[in-house]
Amino acid sequence: MSTRDLVLSALFAAIIVALGILPPITLGFIPVPITAQSLGVMMAGVVLGAQRGTVAVLIVLVLVAIGLPVLSGGRGGLAAFAAPTTGFLIGWVFAAFTTGYISERLVKHGQAAGMQLTGFFFAAMMGGIVVLYAFGIVYLAFAAQIGLKAAFTGSMAFIPGDVIKAFVAALVGRAVMAGYPLLPVKS
Amino acid sequence: MNIRFESAGVSYGSRTALQPLTLELTEKRIAIIGLNGSGKTTFARLINGLTKPTTGRVIVNGRDTSDEKAALGDVGFIFQSPQNQIILPVVRDDIAFGLKSRGLAKAAIEARVAEVLDRFNAGHLAERRAHELSGGELQMAALCSVLATGPDILILDEPTNQLDLRNRGLVQGLIESLHESAIVITHDLELISDYPRVLVFHQGQLAADAPAAEAIARYRELAA
Amino acid sequence: MQSLYVEGNSRLHLISARVKLIVLAVLGIALFATANIALLGFAVVATGAVYFGIGMPVRAALARLKPILLTILIVAVFSLAFNPWHGAVVALLRLTALMLFAASVTATTTIAAFMDEITLAARPLERLGLVRADDVGLAVGLVVRFVPEIIGRYHAIAEAHHARGLKVRPATVLVPLIILTLKDADNIAAAIDARGIRRHVN
Repeated sequence: MSTRDLVLSALFAAIIVALGILPPITLGFIPVPITAQSLGVMMAGVVLGAQRGTVAVLIVLVLVAIGLPVLSGGRGGLAAFAAPTTGFLIGWVFAAFTTGYISERLVKHGQAAGMQLTGFFFAAMMGGIVVLYAFGIVYLAFAAQIGLKAAFTGSMAFIPGDVIKAFVAALVGRAVMAGYPLLPVKS
Repeated sequence: MNIRFESAGVSYGSRTALQPLTLELTEKRIAIIGLNGSGKTTFARLINGLTKPTTGRVIVNGRDTSDEKAALGDVGFIFQSPQNQIILPVVRDDIAFGLKSRGLAKAAIEARVAEVLDRFNAGHLAERRAHELSGGELQMAALCSVLATGPDILILDEPTNQLDLRNRGLVQGLIESLHESAIVITHDLELISDYPRVLVFHQGQLAADAPAAEAIARYRELAA
Repeated sequence: MQSLYVEGNSRLHLISARVKLIVLAVLGIALFATANIALLGFAVVATGAVYFGIGMPVRAALARLKPILLTILIVAVFSLAFNPWHGAVVALLRLTALMLFAASVTATTTIAAFMDEITLAARPLERLGLVRADDVGLAVGLVVRFVPEIIGRYHAIAEAHHARGLKVRPATVLVPLIILTLKDADNIAAAIDARGIRRHVN
């Protein structure tokens, strides 16, 4: 990995950590604050692409593992991997990869803003919801012994919030691509 | 120190950042001045191998800069922006990190860190966190980090650019005290007013190569 | 950023990181291998004794576990609505015991010790060309180094918003935050390369 790519990944990991420390940001039309860390994971994919986005998330997980309280709420350490929601944590890695992978292939520079937005939104949904929840639900079902049905039902409540995050991630992805494009474009 | 440019130049496609030039640098204090975009930074980056010449070659202390391992060890580079040079949270760890990748033993590393901190009276910075330091303190820490590995040539790219008056004075003093050869790129003409050799760059070419007074006069003409 | 390591000289502090990690892994497997409530209950008591025997003030020790324990409890209660109570209790005990021992390892192992283990574990991967072992330490250092700068940058952007009478919204804050932060990457990378930090040592 080039030094530049390593630094980009590390800086984005730092952004994800910062988002866990900073107060949640409110969207104008909804009074509920968005807890931004999982948004950070989606943004890693749309901004940096598959490889660097994944590395950024991996770096965050290493920080958690070595005992730094970088998860929102000051959580950290190996205990964070013993929770029933650990599947969602591990899933971050695959979510960032998926979002990045799809973004790289779907979104192009010359496209109209609306098209880019749609592409990023789709990428963020596939990664940040479909793939992430797959990991989260399966782990919840088996490790927490609650069975797939219960795990699925219980997780559905969080989907609306994450759809909003996917939309925000898409907006950010498009704006960053316009201002400081970093996404590798692949066919 | 001996730096030789042999028809070395840099072009990116149709754009020439630096016209091929041939010269030899041996002085202890050399300044590089010129307007923004004049090619002065490209010239400096050729010396430590950060930029490779697209024509000709650059030989530093007998070794071609295209041979990565060789050139980098002899040349230290201090960048403009102080805070992007200290890459680990605590100053001491940052200084040590550069030595770690050279394969030194732990005790040797600690000794060198102490030595370089002592040299610049920067011991009080050792345990400080980088984001709490002023611009001048960061540059001092960066100097320690870069010089810890023992290069005999130091390039400083606009070292006083982002500093207030007091910190500027601090850094000027640090540069004056260096026993290494120093090549200073700067807009701060007062900083280099007594340098024995000053290179003036203009539009990618060497416009003057003379002692400070004469070179600065020439620069003023070009900048008018 | 304060680490979760707690100074002390309990038995666990003296044991090497590697051994503790191996025990944690074995414990994890063992806990999932049994559904015996008595055994699991004992595991909770044992790991609890270890955790509270480290030397942390009880209040601080509990505070750390609160968020995770809460999640375990909520899931267990939720589980009762769908499954027979046995499963819920088994999960509750299992995860609690695992959490307690994991938290014990974290509290008694320094970051440096963890980094040594990770770097060692990464060396075989290095041969496969997947990752450079030393890069992990560099990446961790870079993050801890620049998080405060990013937080400072966020506040500066938020202030600029207030000065212009704008409300802080995700898109208008996150975009400049990301761009300004990532723009530094080139300079930081140049400084790293100029110091020869990522050259392979012979």
